[in-house]
This record gives sequence, C-alpha cells and structure tokens, in this order.
Amino acid sequence: MTATRIDRGSTATTTIYSEGGDLVFERTFDAPRELVWKAFTDPERIPRWWGPKGSTTTVAEMDVRPGGKWRYESSAPHRDDVAFYGEYLEVTPPEGFKWTFMFDVGGVGPQGGPETFRFEDVDGKTKVTSIGHMGSPEIIEGALATGMVGGAIETWDRLEALLAEG
Amino acid sequence: MDMQQPDPLSTTFAALADPTRRAILARLAQGEASVTELSAPFDMSQPAISKHLRVLERAGLIERGRLAQWRPRRLKAGPLRDIADWVGQYRRHWEESFERLDTYLRDLQEREQRSGDDDDRDTNRPG
Repeated sequence: MTATRIDRGSTATTTIYSEGGDLVFERTFDAPRELVWKAFTDPERIPRWWGPKGSTTTVAEMDVRPGGKWRYESSAPHRDDVAFYGEYLEVTPPEGFKWTFMFDVGGVGPQGGPETFRFEDVDGKTKVTSIGHMGSPEIIEGALATGMVGGAIETWDRLEALLAEG
Repeated sequence: MDMQQPDPLSTTFAALADPTRRAILARLAQGEASVTELSAPFDMSQPAISKHLRVLERAGLIERGRLAQWRPRRLKAGPLRDIADWVGQYRRHWEESFERLDTYLRDLQEREQRSGDDDDRDTNRPG
C-alpha cells in the first residue's frame, strides 16, 4: 500500500505532513548534529527548550538507552500540569532515537504512541524529523477533522458558562 | 478475556473517520436537529443516516433530546474537546518546541563562539 503525503499546515519553518498513519514534522536547524543530539538527550538541556511557549519542563527521569524510561513534567499558567513519559526503544547517537511518547489529557487516560526522531547532517546544519506513529490514516483524519467543529464547541462552552452564571 | 477494551479516544477517532459522520457533527455544531433534518443534505436513506447516528452516539459524540416526538440529536462536547486537546497539544508541542530549540541552539553557538572552548561541562556526562 502506498501512502500519500498530505500537507497538514506546514509553516514557514516547519514542514508538517501526514503519510499513512504517521504525522511528520521536519525542520532544519542551523547547528551541528552533535549539538542537536545533546539538546534531545541531555537532561540538563531539555528544560531549556522542551514544551510550548510559556511552559516549564522538569526532567523527572531520563535513562537514554533501549528499555530506559523517561518522564518530563510540564507546567504552564492556565492549565493543569501535564506529564509526558515513555520508554526508549532505539538509541543511535547521533543519528536518532525512537521512544514511546505518552501523555494524559483531561483524565481520558494515557494517549500517544511510538515516535521516531531522525537527525541528518545537511552541510553542517541538521535536519530534524519527528515522526509520530499514530496508527492509521483514519486516526489522523479523525483527529484533524475535530478542528472543524472545535471552534463551535468552544463557543458552546462559553455560552454554557455564561448561561450558568445566570 | 482476550477482547481488548478500546480506549475512549480510539472509539471517538473511529467514529470521526467517516466523512458523512463529520458532516453530521458539523451540522449539529450549529444546533440540534432531527434525523429527517440531518438526512436532508445527504443522498442517503434515513436508515443509513440512523446507522451513522448510532455510531456517533456510541462514541459519546452526540445524544438524543428528551422530547418524545422528534428526539433531536445534539452534540456532546466532552470527547470532541478531548481529541482537540490531544491533537492540538501534540501539534503545538512540536511546533513551539522546535521554535524554542532553534533559539536555544543559536544562543548556545553564539556563546560558545564568544567564550571559546572552555565551557565544556557536557563532557562530565558519560555518553
């Protein structure tokens, strides 16, 4: 079965596409590969960049070798703390690694799956590819389709809150 | 027990995988509607639409109103919000992390250039 690449809203700096059941992010960083490797695998460096803007990440556990566990705790204003965690599956310095990437959202239980990172040297720069293995194209379609109704839902929530205030 | 209980999010994803069901949800996002109203835009029989509605209902995405006569369907926000959160977070996580990583790597290299090679505490860590 050939999987087609479907653009999923690439930005000026990052290419984002889905291919079969994978959701892929690609970005080239102006830094040597060894440095990128360290940024991803050194517990002291993770808090310097991991997580969305305005969030703070603490490394609770990080055992970078196959079978080793990892756990990061992310906190940010206006939301509950989120724990990201999983297990390293493959570790190949400085070419990349594969781990399970799990997290809990709103009490629905652990979500996520395997994720692969590839670091490629491109003329002294490093192309980073992260591949989230979501399972099936249907999952990606379904997930992205919610954007369509998401806005309406939020509006409804706000209306509901307003009505609740009386 | 060899049957694996599907997690709630997988059930929601499966229900959302079908374009007709997504269109039904989009319609319901504008307000509740009867089965007849919901089947109007589709070249589909009412039983076929009812089948889709049952899938959406089982996934907890919609519910039936209590009015005895026409039982309007309406959206249930919970599972959709969970999914939007999940995907939104995943996407935002990597987009913004990559942004921060870019800044971090630039800063790091500028600092190394300025201070020469004396700052090398990284070698303390066994590979």
